[in-house]
Amino acid sequence: VTIEAEFVAETAEELFEGAPCGYLTTRTDGTIVRVNRTFERWTGLDRRQLVGATRFQDLLTAGGRIYHETHYVPLLRVQGAVREIALEIVRADGSRMPVLINSEMHPDARGRRTHVRTTVFDASDRRRYEQELLRARRRDQDIAQELQQSMLAGDLPIAPGLTVDVGYRPADSGLAIGGDWYDAFWLTPGVSLALVVGDVVGRGLGAATTMGQLRSAIRALALTQRGPAAMLAALDTYAERHDVGQMTTVVVAQIDIEARELRYACAGHPPPLLVTPRESPRFLGGGRSMPINVPVDDTGIRREASCSLTAGSRLLVYSDGLIERRSETIDEGMARLAAAFGARRDEPPAALVSSLLHELRDTEHPDDVCLLVADV
Amino acid sequence: MRLHTATLGSSTVVVAARNNVHEHGRADAQPMLFAHGFGCDQTMWRDVWPAFADRYRVVLFDHVGAGGSDTGAFDRDRYASLRGYADDVLEICHELELADVVFVGHSVAAMIGVIAATTEPERFSRLVLVGPSPRYIDDEGYVGGFTREDIDELLESLDSNYLGWSSAMAPVIMGNADRPQLAEELETSFCRTDPEIASHFARTTFLSDNRDDLGRVTTPSLVLQCAQDAIAPEPVGRYVHERLGASTFVQMRATGHCPNVSAPEETIAAIRTFLGG
Repeated sequence: VTIEAEFVAETAEELFEGAPCGYLTTRTDGTIVRVNRTFERWTGLDRRQLVGATRFQDLLTAGGRIYHETHYVPLLRVQGAVREIALEIVRADGSRMPVLINSEMHPDARGRRTHVRTTVFDASDRRRYEQELLRARRRDQDIAQELQQSMLAGDLPIAPGLTVDVGYRPADSGLAIGGDWYDAFWLTPGVSLALVVGDVVGRGLGAATTMGQLRSAIRALALTQRGPAAMLAALDTYAERHDVGQMTTVVVAQIDIEARELRYACAGHPPPLLVTPRESPRFLGGGRSMPINVPVDDTGIRREASCSLTAGSRLLVYSDGLIERRSETIDEGMARLAAAFGARRDEPPAALVSSLLHELRDTEHPDDVCLLVADV
Repeated sequence: MRLHTATLGSSTVVVAARNNVHEHGRADAQPMLFAHGFGCDQTMWRDVWPAFADRYRVVLFDHVGAGGSDTGAFDRDRYASLRGYADDVLEICHELELADVVFVGHSVAAMIGVIAATTEPERFSRLVLVGPSPRYIDDEGYVGGFTREDIDELLESLDSNYLGWSSAMAPVIMGNADRPQLAEELETSFCRTDPEIASHFARTTFLSDNRDDLGRVTTPSLVLQCAQDAIAPEPVGRYVHERLGASTFVQMRATGHCPNVSAPEETIAAIRTFLGG
């Protein structure tokens, strides 16, 4: 007995009727013209109810019908075939059966595309698993977001003659959260405070946890280190020893309220922007050094610079999302920031923050933006 | 396919690239702007626009987030209402200096055109609304065809289908204006959209209510209504027709919601008649 002979009794008809998938032929408008036994059994509808009387899309959920019209039909028309479309079929008893369908345009004898052949696969278990995967992915995103928000919350330093405000706007377009952070805290209560903005490479949970570590590390190191450069040097040691935050950029600005002095250091970070009552806004280009934990020899050298703050000074520290646009150079972005910052010098900090966030966002390629403004 | 980089000045490339604008036909003729609906992209018009290329300046584009558009330009706030998409249409008109425009919008893009035409009525000479619906969800005294639960189900079915979206496809689909091979890739990326963006567009589309805008339209309009349209059923098309100032209602023989792909000849004939031959 040859292997072919074993099933010689099985007719093409039986192969069609008893196939382990639903199998149907429809007109291009969806009207069912032929259907196999498996499909009848799965739907609980017999062929008298289906053939000529029902369109395939009539068997779908309302949401599935929209998907059918907006995706399945155009795909089938344009490409002649669609594969692995996930839908739910509503059975005769009202219960739902998750299915995957494949369809192909089926030319008639004269080559006209008048009919469609569709196979329907039971996808109940697969759909359950996929839903678990989706839930897990959303949970990851939620955790990362919550983590980030919890770290960005907290009271801002406030004192007579000092107003600090912050703004944060995450990138749109469904990307995972970014690694930008800001912080403002007292070094000596009522006397001097630190403003910090940092930017960790990457996105998602990993970036959020790194950001959290570095933010806490700076707070702790600020207890013992004197001045922004020393804080960054200590942060380098920390980052290197614990292998975190490679290539992070940070700006630390230390404001001494009594002495009206600003000390600042930028580890690969865009320069702070200062405006005083009598001068135009200017970028503070001093105190520059490499990003944190870069694999070269000279990271040990952390520089800082200082300047005095006349009464009515306003300082802005920010992340690069505020000045970077894909279609422009950094210089153009910085010029735009300086102009907007100067033009709004009479606005209170909170209003300034929100208008800068709106005006200067790159609507073409939105990135995370965070900024911190201090009026002294 | 990538006419815009060759034919447009550098100042106009920004919006043209963002919306993957393509031009055909006579550059000096009256513009005819085709807008696609929720789901796919400008490919939806491929069997329709060539019929108008001999008499019109045909302009095709993708909504931001769809087809070959720059998905980096997607902004949740801007596109939280159809107004954002209508602003894009107007920006395209401005940058390409389109005047006296015949706007042809399918599905949700019909309402996008309505909003654009109420904002700058002088810019549009005719509106062709294919399967329009000003509101998809039933309301008191209004039958849209869907309940809120139905729309939630749609969002779920989007989720299940986007498991077919893999990140490996993203670079191809997101593409950018500097890549000449994009035209070929478009075919394979047809109907594929970043799941987050598609879900946002679905929300914006199916939760929209633009019934009040209809009465403000002064542009002569054509309502093309399909038979057995599950998305924009006949009563909805009639409602649009009655509310519009000056409109013509055409009941098509074509069934379904996409006569531009399922019955291009009938679609072309109806538009031709409306435009006067």
